[in-house]
Formats: sequence, structure tokens, C-alpha cells
Amino acid sequence: MVVLREGMCPGLDEGLLRDLRAADVKTVEDLVSSDIEELAQKCSVSYKGLLAIRRVLLAQHTAFPVSGADLYEELLSSTAILSTGNPSLDKLLDSGLYTGEITELSGGPGSGKSQVCFGVAVHISYRLKQSVVYIDTTGGLAAGRLLQMLQAETSNTEEQMAALQRIHTFRLFDVYSLLDCLYSLRSGGLQQASVGGGSVKAVIVDSVSAVISPLLGGIQNEGMSLMIQVAGVLKTMAKDFNVAALVRVTQSLMCSALNARGISSVNPNPSQDTSSSYCFET
Amino acid sequence: MTESGAQLFARLEGRRCLKDIEPHLFPEDGGPDHGEVVELCGTEGTGEFTALEAPVCLNCTAHLEPVCVSGKTELLYHLLCRCVLPEAAGGLEVDVVFVDTDYSLDMLRLVSILDSRLSTALSTSSSSAGSEEAALRSCLSRLLVVHCSSSSQLLLTLHFLETSLSSRPSLALLLIDSISAFYWLDRCEGGASVAKQEEKLSKCAELLGRLLRDYRVTVFATCHAIRRSSSGPAPSGSYLCRPWQRLVTHRLLCSRQDPAENMAAAARGSREQRRRQVFIVRCTSSSSSSSSCSMKGFRSSSFCVTDGGVEFIGTSSSQDNEQSQ
Amino acid sequence: MLRPVSSLCLSPSVKLKLVRAGFQFTTDLLHLRPGQLSAEAGVSQQEALQVLQAASADAAGGGVTALELLQKEAELKSIVTFSSQLDEALGGGVPVGKTTEICGAPGAGKTQLCLQLAVDVQVPRCFGGVEGHVIYVDTEGSFLLQRVVDMAAAAVRHCSLLAEDEEQRVAMETFTVETILSNIFLVRCRDYVELLAELHLLADFLSARPKVRLLVVDSVAFPFRRLLDELSQRTRLLNGVAQHLITMATSQHIAVVITNQMTTRLRGGQSQLVPALGESWGHAPTIRLLLHWEGPRRLATIFKSPSHMDTTVQYQITADGFRDTEQPELPQSKRRQT
Repeated sequence: MVVLREGMCPGLDEGLLRDLRAADVKTVEDLVSSDIEELAQKCSVSYKGLLAIRRVLLAQHTAFPVSGADLYEELLSSTAILSTGNPSLDKLLDSGLYTGEITELSGGPGSGKSQVCFGVAVHISYRLKQSVVYIDTTGGLAAGRLLQMLQAETSNTEEQMAALQRIHTFRLFDVYSLLDCLYSLRSGGLQQASVGGGSVKAVIVDSVSAVISPLLGGIQNEGMSLMIQVAGVLKTMAKDFNVAALVRVTQSLMCSALNARGISSVNPNPSQDTSSSYCFET
Repeated sequence: MTESGAQLFARLEGRRCLKDIEPHLFPEDGGPDHGEVVELCGTEGTGEFTALEAPVCLNCTAHLEPVCVSGKTELLYHLLCRCVLPEAAGGLEVDVVFVDTDYSLDMLRLVSILDSRLSTALSTSSSSAGSEEAALRSCLSRLLVVHCSSSSQLLLTLHFLETSLSSRPSLALLLIDSISAFYWLDRCEGGASVAKQEEKLSKCAELLGRLLRDYRVTVFATCHAIRRSSSGPAPSGSYLCRPWQRLVTHRLLCSRQDPAENMAAAARGSREQRRRQVFIVRCTSSSSSSSSCSMKGFRSSSFCVTDGGVEFIGTSSSQDNEQSQ
Repeated sequence: MLRPVSSLCLSPSVKLKLVRAGFQFTTDLLHLRPGQLSAEAGVSQQEALQVLQAASADAAGGGVTALELLQKEAELKSIVTFSSQLDEALGGGVPVGKTTEICGAPGAGKTQLCLQLAVDVQVPRCFGGVEGHVIYVDTEGSFLLQRVVDMAAAAVRHCSLLAEDEEQRVAMETFTVETILSNIFLVRCRDYVELLAELHLLADFLSARPKVRLLVVDSVAFPFRRLLDELSQRTRLLNGVAQHLITMATSQHIAVVITNQMTTRLRGGQSQLVPALGESWGHAPTIRLLLHWEGPRRLATIFKSPSHMDTTVQYQITADGFRDTEQPELPQSKRRQT
């Protein structure tokens, strides 16, 4: 609920505000919902004046409808598909990660999820020469491993270093820090991260469940509410800034909140597989 | 407030009724009438489901999980397409407002469904690629999308939409995806008081009730299955506030067909068939407008999802009095 | 998009007061002074100040590029295990700044390795060590002082044999069994409540003792055994513990070593020995090390790590501690995965 304040819109002065409060109209919602004719009489202001105030407040706080045709037009011009660097994974995802969308990655412990995240980050920064934001919430991000993957791509040290510089890392271990970071990125931080390289094309969160799961299952509603907020800010960031979001989760618990395309990696029984090497060549 | 002749016409006469929006779904002659509210719920997906597999490395595989776990979103797009498609392509040719509270509208998916419907319908008549593109644009121009990020914004937006409702007689459907999007946020912000927690959605429901009476549009709203901490998934929709529940006249419950059954089919079938997941949708309606006594209709239909959207497979219905349950 | 006040890191009661007073989004707060906010929302001046700071914080500047991260990683040393094969497999030893889990059945040598690490972390810098202190959280009562004394004496002997230059000889004067023992801070926790409390108090302890480089929790499974019936609560608490440990490892630059027990899991009619505490806990440690037997041989296997090959090495436990075997080398099986 948005509280009515002096100077919110022309005509909403101290006196009127006091009268409105006396009539039990405290928020924008109250004013918009009430019968303007009746309210104008109570507050002894002109009906037209109050109607104008209502109109301005409504325009300030409503969400505006956009035509589907315009949305589609915009989408066609802005959507990009980012290859993950792994042909079979690309095939699975209809040629890669879509900007504006969230792709969810799940699987058991040690099933290769982080390796997929690393691979995508390296591919986008080195091959596509674009920036990546990598948010690590489990302490699993190893820059040494990223370097290893880059070394498999090129022996040119300068190119390796340039690619590493295009990967912006954040290490955050609780949900509030994650929200702080995501909201900051959303309100301009993404452009900052683009300076000195291509624009940010992907945001990788490895993993969301690590910071959410300590809050779920309690008696309080806070955990669910925070989870929805993480999902919400990721979705709007992906849409509005046209970046692809790759989100690692431990279980598909976020699925309904994220509305994401999900991939899950499966590790066959670890004790069964013997000598083979997992995509060291990326 | 004064009302122009056009507005009065829009309000009372001009709006198309959506009773025939999808005969597969609703009991005979039991589709949503003017001013009625349909709630679409899905059961939360459980269990593993392999749609497609690809090796990501030598000994690890990744599989793509289906976008829709219960088929709810696909069904929503199906209904949306039916509304905005031209009559020539089997549509109702009405305007739709899509209130996107989940930021989940997948425009690319919607367009691919529209595309496939249009090409099937227009292939009979001679048409060029250009006219198909134009037909698609005109479908999309019948759709208005509005994104809301909080329940107070939803309330104000509904107020704002009143103008559109009164001035566009062709606007027949209001889609809200989803009505439960702010449930947890509101609960969290409401503190310990249930009245506070439900205050905003109740106000939205009351306003919607008035808009439905005054402008006689039909509302479709989706509702997430909610995982309650201890008792498993809550019965769909029933956790939302009373004023909303009183508005709902039809309830569509989507679910995936028993995975075990499906697995057996998958083992026999080819990879292509394995993707054919069957969904079941069950309709319960308590229409009060059509008859004086409270009749309850049930209908259960199944559909599968193809690249071109929802395809219905079969239906079974019963229209009984309440005792049958 | 506007940021809801409820997403800020503030106490629930303060957030509730803000929302009730009509401050729903952070933008509603930005133009306010603490005094105003305190009056309008009915919170204390102190709380109002915190609210305004939280609302205006910009976290996007907190990131570093992967290149800077690489440089930071290079500065952090690893703690040697005194088994050269295991050190090699781990890329130099147990890494500082990461969480490592040691799993194994009773008697596999988990505690032995922990004790060994508690001694090894203190090896002076001029010998290539970390020269740090230890916090040892003992939940099973398995900390054996005499074993530490033996291992410490062996480590001191080892280093004094290696001492060549003046710097190393000077360092040896303070690298004695007594100093080693005095730099191990032992904490005994009897149940999970004590463990959780201890972990929360640890931040203060660590800031008072900046030389701590190793935190051992032996074991994390034992204190939670009473919560077996309340799975969801146990999972939630354990997930909290995991995030807490990871935060400490990263922000304070300490190696976190935890031990875990093994449990039997039935899958498809076959029983299999897997680490306890379930799958969701399995995501928590960065590196998982399994100690197990194969006939008479003791084996250590790295089975989860983002930056190492999956490797199995043989080791033995002698009177001096955790060591390589002198036997011919085991054919190594290598595999890479997360």
C-alpha cells in the first residue's frame, strides 16, 4: 500500500491530506477505490479536482498495457541465443540459452552442474567475447578451473586473461546478500559490469537453493516470500536487460516460482564408472 | 460519471460470450458465461520425468524437463490463442488483456502456437507467407499485456483497466497469470494477522467482482499449487482468500497422467513418442446463472502437448447433481 | 523494478512496522532522514538508521573479475596432509578458503586425518606451511590428546631434519610440541544446539584470533542424530550450517574440514554405503573425500571437487600419523566431475 504524501501530485496539499486522513483515506489504494463524489463532499474540495488527483495517482502507480504485437516486435529484435559450448547440450536446449529466459539446472551432488556453469561462463567470455556475471553461493567457484578450461581453448595467455576479466564473480552466501546483489545489478550494476568488455549476456547463479533451503520448511512465511522475490528479480532482469540466466538448483523446488526451462544432469552410479574423463576438453 | 452510448453498448450488449471457448473442457453448454470466473490450477509435479536426453560428457547426461509440469500453462495459451485467432481460423476474434504477475508470458511459445494454428487454417485457402505474417500480427494486436509486480500494483492496475473495459467492446477476456503470485509476499508482509495478509487480494477480488458485473467480461486466472510446510500440497486454490473463492464459478484442475503408466508407454515407444506426455484436466463448475438450482457439472478430458500447442485426445463427462460425489 | 522493503536484511518486526506505515518499496525510504523515519514508522532511531543504510546499499560493486579471483586463489595456500600422494591429488593439500568433507566408516581414519591437519596447519611458513592456528570442534569426544602429542612430535622431528638455513633454525625454536598444543583451541559440543551456538559465536572468536587458518568439525553428523525423525527440520538446520561454514571459509580465509559418517542406502534391492545426512547436504562441501578400506589397504578417494580429478590414493596410519604407504603405487583411476 502506498501512503499518500504531500507533493505526490499537484493539488495534494497538506490541508487536503489532513481532510483525507480524517475520512479514513490514507493510501493511494484507498483514494482510488473510494467514491470520488462522496469523498469530495466530505473533504470539501471540488469533484473535478479530486478526480484529477485520482487520475494522476492512478497513472503514477499502475502498470501500463502493451500490445502483444509490439512485445513480439521487441522480442524479435532483442532475443539472442547463446551457445553453451557443448553441442549436445545446445541441441537439447534448442540451440542454447535464450536471452530473456531463465534456464534451470538441477541434479544430484557431483553430477556435473558446476562444470556446466563453468563451461558456459568460459564459452561466453572466450568464444562470444561477452561478459558474464557469475554468482557463487557455495564457495565452489574455482578460478583455477576456469583457467584450465581456457587453456584447453587457447594457448594465448593474453586471451585467457581477457576472458577471465569478462567474468564478473560475486561470492555471496546468504539470501539477503543475493537479493542485494541482484537488485543492484538490476538497477544499473549490469551496465557497470559491461565496462571494459562486451555487454553482459548471461547471469549465472550457482546455486539458488544453497541460500534458500536454510529458510524453507520453517514456520515463518519469509523463506517462500524471499524465494519468490529471488525468482522475480531474476526474471525481470532477464527480460528487461535481455540476458540469459542460468540458475543452478539442487531440486526442482524453484520450478514453479521461476517458470524456467529446466535441465537436469544425471550422474550414473559413481561407483560404477571407472577410467573416463569428464569433458576436460570442454 | 456519464456514459456514452458506445460505452453503454460495450458494457451491456457488445461483448462476446465465451461459453463456447473450448467445448472439450466444459460440460455441455456449461462454458463460462458473461461475468464468470474460471480458475486454472495445476498439481505440482512429482517424480522424475525424462523428456529428452543428451550426453553432456562421457558419463553424465542431461535431460530437459518439460516446460510445463502440469500442462496448465499450455492450456492457458491454448485458450488465449482461441480467443485472439480470427474466426476464419477457428478463433473467436476477441480482445484479451493478459495480466502477467509471474513475469512468465513466453511470447515465443505463444507465437509458435498461433503460427501453427494459422498455417493449418490458412493452408486450405491460397495464401502467401506475407498474409500469414499479417494474420499473426493482427492476432497479436488483439492481445494487451500488462506486468504487475505487487498486489497493490495489481489492484491499481485493475482500476486503471476499467477505462479499457468500458471503451473496448471487443475486449471479452481478462487473463490473470497468476492470481496467487503475491500470496507469499502478502503473507510475509501481513505479519501475524490473517486479515492483513489477505487484505490486498480481497480488495482485488472485490474490485474484480464489480468489474465483472458492470462490464460482463470473463476472467481466467491461474493458481499455483502451494507446498505447505507439513501437509504436502494444499488443495488447489482453496488457500486463497474467501472473496476470491466466491468469485470462482469454474475450476480446471490440470495434472500429468500417472508417470508410471507413461513410463511403460515410453519403454515401448520411440523417442518421439516418449515426448508425448498426456495431461488430464478436470473441470468442476458451479454455474449459478444458467439454472436456478445449483447444478454441478463435471468433465474430465485429456490432452497432449505438441509443437503446435494443446491437442485434445478424449473426454468423459457427467452432469449430475451434487450427490454423485 | 521497485525493491520491496521485505527483501532487505532487517529484523522481521522492523520490516513489518515499515510496511504497516506504508513504506513498501525502498524508493519510499530514500528521501527520508533517520529522525523522520523513526517518527513515521515507530521504529527506534538506531533501527531507522539501519533501515536507511540497508535500503541505499549498492552491492553491485562488490564483485571481482575471475582474473582477480585467480590471483586471490594463488595467494591462498593449502594445508599439507603429510601424505604426498593425497597432497598431489588435492593440488597441494587441503585448500584454505574452501570446505572439505571427510567421509568414512568408523575406523577409516577420519579423526586421524583431522588431528594430523590440526598439527600440519601450524608448520612454519619457511617450511612451506601455513603457520596458522586451529579451532577444533569435537562433537563425538574422539579428540585424543596423546595422538596429537605423537603427531606433533613427529612433525617437529620432520621439520628439524629439513632445517637448513638460519630462518628455518629460528623458526624451529618456536615450532615445538608445546606451542602446537597451545595453538589448538578445542571446543566440545554435545548436541546440535551447542554446535549451532558455537558456530554463531565463532565469528567473534575468529576476529579476535586472526591467525586461525583451520576449523575442524569432527563430526557434523553425530550431533544431529537425535533429529533423525524430523527430517525437514534437520535438513533446514544442516543447510544453514553449510552456508555458515562456507561464509567463514571464504571471508576469513580458513580451511573448513568436517567429517561425516556413512550410512546404508537401499537402491534397487542393493545396499550401498553412502555419506550420511542425505543428498541436500551433499551439495554443501566443495570437496568430498572418502576414506575406505579395500582388503587390508586404506584408500582415500576424492569424489567431488570442482577443480580436481577424481583420484584414489593409498595411505596408512602410523604412530607418527597420516602417511603414504611404501608399497608399490596403486593403479590410479582418474575421473573428472563436479
